Amino acid sequence: MAIRILVVDDHPVVRQGLKTLLEGRDGWEVIGEASDGAEALEKAKYLNPDVMVLDVTMPKMNGLEACRLLRKETPQLEILFVTQHDSPQMMREALDAGARGYVVKSNAARDLLAAVEAVSQHRIFTALNGRDAAGSNTNSGVHL
Amino acid sequence: MKLRILLADDHEIVRRGLRALLERHEGWEVCGEASDGREAFEKALELKPDVVIVDIGMPNLNGLDTTRQLLQHDPHFKVIVLTITDSDQVIREALDAGARGFVLKSDAARDLVSAVEALQNKRMFFTPRVNDLVLAGFLEKGHSISRNEAPKLPTLTAREREITQLLAEGNSSKEVASLLNLSTKTVETHRSNIMRKLSFHSIRDLVVYAIKNNLIQIEIPPPPKTPTGPTAA
Repeated sequence: MAIRILVVDDHPVVRQGLKTLLEGRDGWEVIGEASDGAEALEKAKYLNPDVMVLDVTMPKMNGLEACRLLRKETPQLEILFVTQHDSPQMMREALDAGARGYVVKSNAARDLLAAVEAVSQHRIFTALNGRDAAGSNTNSGVHL
Repeated sequence: MKLRILLADDHEIVRRGLRALLERHEGWEVCGEASDGREAFEKALELKPDVVIVDIGMPNLNGLDTTRQLLQHDPHFKVIVLTITDSDQVIREALDAGARGFVLKSDAARDLVSAVEALQNKRMFFTPRVNDLVLAGFLEKGHSISRNEAPKLPTLTAREREITQLLAEGNSSKEVASLLNLSTKTVETHRSNIMRKLSFHSIRDLVVYAIKNNLIQIEIPPPPKTPTGPTAA
């Protein structure tokens, strides 16, 4: 299945790593990159991606703020967080902000492809380092 | 002959990005990868790369101590340190450790290729802030870097620093012993010496020390969402 992806992270090297991984999958295309939340909002409007891979901690506008705004402006877009924060609280906040998926950066090479596939099909995917999300009905590493 | 590079970072996604960046350069190859300092040390000895790129904030053995141990073993190793911060203290420690290159992670896409090229040509590569600091120290302190703000703490040995990092990362003495192939009793002795030298009484003191001295790094999450509407009384 073809999936058009926008990658958002303030570190170009991380964007390159994510891009290399994502484009290894047949039919998946990274159609754009952004380095902060504000640029992500702008690019989401005119590139119209299927999935946005979004970092939490970024300058200008962090990923959570961007996610809340994107939910209102581009409701068809599915958002997957890829972040350093291996925290159930942060994951809960990301899902509350309207994200469909949450993956920890240190496990991205393992979880990212399955996560993008799940969220592109409008399923939830969350994966912390071996813990369940607090107060969530999702399980670690499980897509529902 | 190709220039052989060893990459050490605990995030595979970062290693992928760095590899893609470096292998675009004709005549360079990434000959190996490591996900922590101990693995980097072992692979460097095994693969004998021309350049070693180490992230500072790695588990088990951080990048600065990896650099120290590599150069202690063989001063011919050429090491570039990757860091998320260019604070004065980190710069000093990287220079003290013997790094020949210092690149901010956020600027790696722009600077890393230049840094490797510099080392390839037997030069060094530092960010403008490092150059400023070195120059300031040279001018103000007579050919040495100013250390006025450096904390006056007793010096730990390389082994003690290694054990401090592992304890601060949450390992028990038994786990540290297993990781370093030492007896638990030896680790307990090192642990007592560390606590005595630093006048610490709890593991909490040790964790704070490890963070302040860049033995471990922590990620600060963004502040929680603030309510925008009126709240009920």
